[in-house]
Amino acid sequence: MNPRITAIGSGKGGTGKTLIAVSLAHALSHQNERVLLCDADLGLSNAGVHLGIKEGGDLAGLIAGRTAMKNAVVTVACGPHHSFDLLAAPPGAGTFANAGEAAAMTLIAAIEGVRNYDRVLIDLGAGVDAAVMSFAARADETLLVLTPDPASLTDAYAFTKLMLRKTGARAPQVLVNMALNGTEGRRIADTLLAASQSFLRAVPDYVGYIPYDARVPDAVRRQSPLLSAYPQTPASLAIDALARKLHSVINMPASAIGLR
Amino acid sequence: MQLRTFLARDMKEALSNVRADMGPNAVIIASEKSKSGGVMVRAALDEADIEPEAAPPEPVETSSVADFETHYRDGLMRRLRNAPSEAPARARFDRTELMAALHRHRTPDSLAHALAEDANKAQLTDMTLALACAIDKRMRPGPIDLTTASALLLVGPNGAGKTAVAAKLAAHARLNDRRITLVAADSAGAGAVARLETFAKHLDAGMAIAETAPDLQKLVIDCVSKKTLVVIDTAGFDPRDGKARSAFAALSQIAHVETLGVVSALNDAEEAAEIGAALKTLGARRLIVTGLDLARRAGALLAAATQDLPLAHVTRSPFVASGLESPTSLSIARLLLDENRSTQ
Repeated sequence: MNPRITAIGSGKGGTGKTLIAVSLAHALSHQNERVLLCDADLGLSNAGVHLGIKEGGDLAGLIAGRTAMKNAVVTVACGPHHSFDLLAAPPGAGTFANAGEAAAMTLIAAIEGVRNYDRVLIDLGAGVDAAVMSFAARADETLLVLTPDPASLTDAYAFTKLMLRKTGARAPQVLVNMALNGTEGRRIADTLLAASQSFLRAVPDYVGYIPYDARVPDAVRRQSPLLSAYPQTPASLAIDALARKLHSVINMPASAIGLR
Repeated sequence: MQLRTFLARDMKEALSNVRADMGPNAVIIASEKSKSGGVMVRAALDEADIEPEAAPPEPVETSSVADFETHYRDGLMRRLRNAPSEAPARARFDRTELMAALHRHRTPDSLAHALAEDANKAQLTDMTLALACAIDKRMRPGPIDLTTASALLLVGPNGAGKTAVAAKLAAHARLNDRRITLVAADSAGAGAVARLETFAKHLDAGMAIAETAPDLQKLVIDCVSKKTLVVIDTAGFDPRDGKARSAFAALSQIAHVETLGVVSALNDAEEAAEIGAALKTLGARRLIVTGLDLARRAGALLAAATQDLPLAHVTRSPFVASGLESPTSLSIARLLLDENRSTQ
């Protein structure tokens, strides 16, 4: 069975995309999903930095055809009974800075071919180049991270426009990060929705918001996964709720309910 | 997109500033009262038209001996060096090949032609994305939110898998910490009642039998007040048959009850489309397509998914533990074009 492919992008850098991707992988594994987190920021891989681990897997080997998928991933434990797999380049290696679309297509083919995961989360790189948009177009759902920063709005709009161009029809789903509250989250999303509707004749879905939370930068500084360090903090709870929402539309592994 | 923020005393002034600075095509995308009593308006401007990504020009076919030699030599060198190819072969959009794939999956002719036409219009080079775009125009995914659902009535032909779907819905709801009551409606067969009872026991759910529509109504009202999810299984029938239909109309009218049509992917595609349409007339608001694991041809799934009814879920196995999936236009396009599953 094909895995469900969920991509997370933003256009602009610094929107908290990687933190969201890592935390979602954590939360979804706690929903008993078999998750592969793929750090597709081919130039600057940093999911491993967030997780505080040394090895991120052998993405370079996988793309070059040297390493099989099962040998290219590393397993990241999150809690005593759960884990997810990570596929990334070594942090700071810069291996794929100019790898471009061909490398992206190789990676997409490998991801579409895996059968031992329920879900593949793709942390897209910043920017809206051909490689990023190829991943976005090939995902079953693409979460577009927006922040209160107006520059993130224009970049998110560009992302939406290019994704519509690439897919002909499918728009990303908007996730607002670092909002003060639900009202602000909705308002920020509405600006993108209004612009998309006016100029692109497409209305992206709003999936929700993650509140601004001082514990987040703290967890990042300590290089410890947010959901382990502060499981009850508002941002963690919002990510957990988002994970449940995403989980509700995919097949459930047999282990989840303990009967056949 | 140009983005500008304007501060002004009132809306009128703000709008005239927007018009003066950005022209008549600017669009207000946000506005709010500022703390000082004025207004803040955010306006955007972009070219309204969106051109789909144009297909790159096809390489010109030449057949001179020199070209052939160059081509052959390059290919040989590449193989000798065992260099990774530039990119994995992605199926390029080709209308004839798309039609062939749709026919292989026994897609109804009119639907196949319409999809190929739209896929062609999308002007996308990638075959899967072009087909996904065409499907997307006709399909609405509508997964059931089991955290908020109150009563679900499953209707459909015999053998579509309604009882297994009832158990899957209950299992999913239980994972969301819902209390559940499984109900066998009057017309459910004796075997189905026994199966439901077994499922109810395993899932720690309540079990009830409703003999008549008023009985069911009472039960539903009672459960809804306790926030218990009711999943109602019914006997199979042909929804295209007028007489059988009238018996079910009363059930789907009950307050709080959402009717879900259940159709098997093993049907002939035209039959699936007809059944879907008939279930809609009966009051079904969403469809669930079962038996994807058994179907080698996806025509029935495609035909059912592209009816007016939103596609809630598909199931791939009769086992309760393997649950409900929500397919996307992209995942259905992948299924149709995936050569590993082709029927030859």
